[in-house]
Amino acid sequence: MADEDETKEYRWESGYEKTWEAIKEDDDGLLESNVADLVARAKRKRAALKDTGAIQLGMMRHLFVVVDASACMFLQDLKPTRFLCVLKLLEVFVHEFFDLNPISQLGILTTKMKRSEQITVLAGNQKKHIEALQQLKDLSCEGEPSLQNSLERAMNGLKNMPAYSSREILVLFGSLTTCDPGDIQKTIKSLKDNNIRVSIIGLAAEVRICQEIAKKTGGTYNVLIDDHHLKELILNQVQPPAVAGSMEASLVKMGFPGGSPIVNDGTSDSSADHAPAYCLCHIESETSSLMGPNGYNCPQCGSRYCELPVECKQCGLTLVSAPHLARSYHHLFPIKPFIERAQVRETTHCFACAKLFVEAETNVIIIVNFRLCLFYHSLPFLFLLKVYECENCNQIVCLDCDLFIRETLHTCPGCASDPVTAQMKTN
Amino acid sequence: MEDKEERIETSLVAIVIDATPAKKFASQPLDGSSMMNRIFDSLIAFGNAHLMQASHNKLAIIACNSKSTKFLYPSMDGTSRSYHNRPGQYDMFAKVDSDVRHGLGELILNDMTDNDSTKSDSLLGGAMARALSYIHRVQRELSLSHQLKPRVLVVSGSCDSALQYMTFMNVFFTAQKENVVIDCCMMDTDSGLLQQGCDITGGQYLHIPSVAGLLEYLLWVFLPSPSCRSKIVLPPPTKVDYRAACFCHHKLVDIGWVCSVCLSIFCKFSIMCTTCNTEFKLNRPAIVPAKSKKRARIE
Repeated sequence: MADEDETKEYRWESGYEKTWEAIKEDDDGLLESNVADLVARAKRKRAALKDTGAIQLGMMRHLFVVVDASACMFLQDLKPTRFLCVLKLLEVFVHEFFDLNPISQLGILTTKMKRSEQITVLAGNQKKHIEALQQLKDLSCEGEPSLQNSLERAMNGLKNMPAYSSREILVLFGSLTTCDPGDIQKTIKSLKDNNIRVSIIGLAAEVRICQEIAKKTGGTYNVLIDDHHLKELILNQVQPPAVAGSMEASLVKMGFPGGSPIVNDGTSDSSADHAPAYCLCHIESETSSLMGPNGYNCPQCGSRYCELPVECKQCGLTLVSAPHLARSYHHLFPIKPFIERAQVRETTHCFACAKLFVEAETNVIIIVNFRLCLFYHSLPFLFLLKVYECENCNQIVCLDCDLFIRETLHTCPGCASDPVTAQMKTN
Repeated sequence: MEDKEERIETSLVAIVIDATPAKKFASQPLDGSSMMNRIFDSLIAFGNAHLMQASHNKLAIIACNSKSTKFLYPSMDGTSRSYHNRPGQYDMFAKVDSDVRHGLGELILNDMTDNDSTKSDSLLGGAMARALSYIHRVQRELSLSHQLKPRVLVVSGSCDSALQYMTFMNVFFTAQKENVVIDCCMMDTDSGLLQQGCDITGGQYLHIPSVAGLLEYLLWVFLPSPSCRSKIVLPPPTKVDYRAACFCHHKLVDIGWVCSVCLSIFCKFSIMCTTCNTEFKLNRPAIVPAKSKKRARIE
């Protein structure tokens, strides 16, 4: 981090940072509104920075997560131990990852005792990964990690993936050393040739080789400050990364099961589609479920599955449902940031949530005439309250709705309520 | 470890009503009063029934037509109107009644200026987005001793609007994330998009055969909160059609071709994606080493 800005002074040169001066009490002696205000402004700044416009994003991602399980992960600088803290955050990560990238696949590796082991194969099933992470809690951390071995193993898994997908590795590295069998520069070179992007999150201190790997492969390298920062760094990886430029685009054949609905009187078009059958996703396990007409049939080969998305074992067709693809559409049509304005008297309520804009009143003494008496008036001064306006529909929303729209809703209610702008931009 | 403090459950229902005048029964009179009047009477009665269940319960009513969307209750007018409540009537019921009728009148009057209003689609997506923002705000403003259980009830008679697909899907995913249940009561036609929404959020979808019985359906099926719906026998869930529509013909497809860059769906293989203008490389078969082996064996 210090390498990046060399113009910045060192901490001992710049004097003390008087952080207590940022917080001021308001008239009633309360700090709440001030703190909330600061938090909201920080959030908004971050949200504004993220808005990069409509760039190509890697939608179908194949990501390997490498977790360091060496002896240094038993240190307790992250409570309860580094290893357990990382595993807990990874469960949240897996959940958010499949939420935001429903057609992507994830695999988990660990590295310890100078070797690397595969915990789960590349799969799109959220539950398997979360169960595997929970079972990992009992793993004993010992030995030395091996960066090269884990990268090689991940690379073997990713090499055969189709060219249109974004191949990534995320390494959570807690050690300051690595024990490799060969030359890691060769590994870096083959990673680069295979278009694999490696991002590393360091848990201890900045390590030169990690910086080099991340830089050469086009990933990011960050070292955490505390556990909240770690959560933020891990969750940053959930967002699809921008395309490196050499990704091939192609048309992928996909199946959309869930065809004609069952007619109410019991008869249906093809009885084979709705007859009870074993689902293929559980057929190898002992708890294979016999299911009625509730599953999804592959349109190409007719095999039954109980949940989507899944890759058909029999014919290899990827089965998804339309909402899975629609989840990623909001990346492609981002909304422009709202313009910050001072409040105008005509708009009394926020358009999205119907909240009344509270006017900040201050008392002002107006001197009408020096020779006459002073008139004391209280005028509402509105310049203290900021509201946000959409460029397309010119509707005003409050700060909280602005954050909600930007982070969660991804649709401007004003544009959706206007007959002209409610149409989709494509088609 | 049991949680000794019980949080007060506050149930919030946001009713989104589609007031498009293009509904064919809107002008048919029945028993003297028009169908539109009966529909709104039923909705006000349903809203009051919800408020009556517990003192903490909250209500929001948003109406939409093809021109705009409007918060009917809580009203966004700054002026406080005088309510004529019957003696003994709970003040809030009279307020809801008065605000809804006044707001609806304004909404319809706004629409009367344009003659083409019957052709464009109803702005249901925008109304649902506003409902979710309102729920988000109430969630923030509620104190920690209350636990909010929000749901949205959509009452509509319009068909699906393919152009608002993105708005609808964003609303459904947001509702799923915020644990908001979306129920739907369809009066005239079926709506595939709203069926998907109810399925994604775990809500109830019902297509009612007769509009005259709207109040009965609302009270019997939609008044119970989601937590006690497991104990009641409700209409069976419809099998939702999750097939996607191709971007070129808007036909539902079983097997489609998906562009890896923008995820748009096509029914036939083509060289270029019309949405993001990327050219596709044809898939080269990766069997080259096997062929040379075969040649070696023959020779």
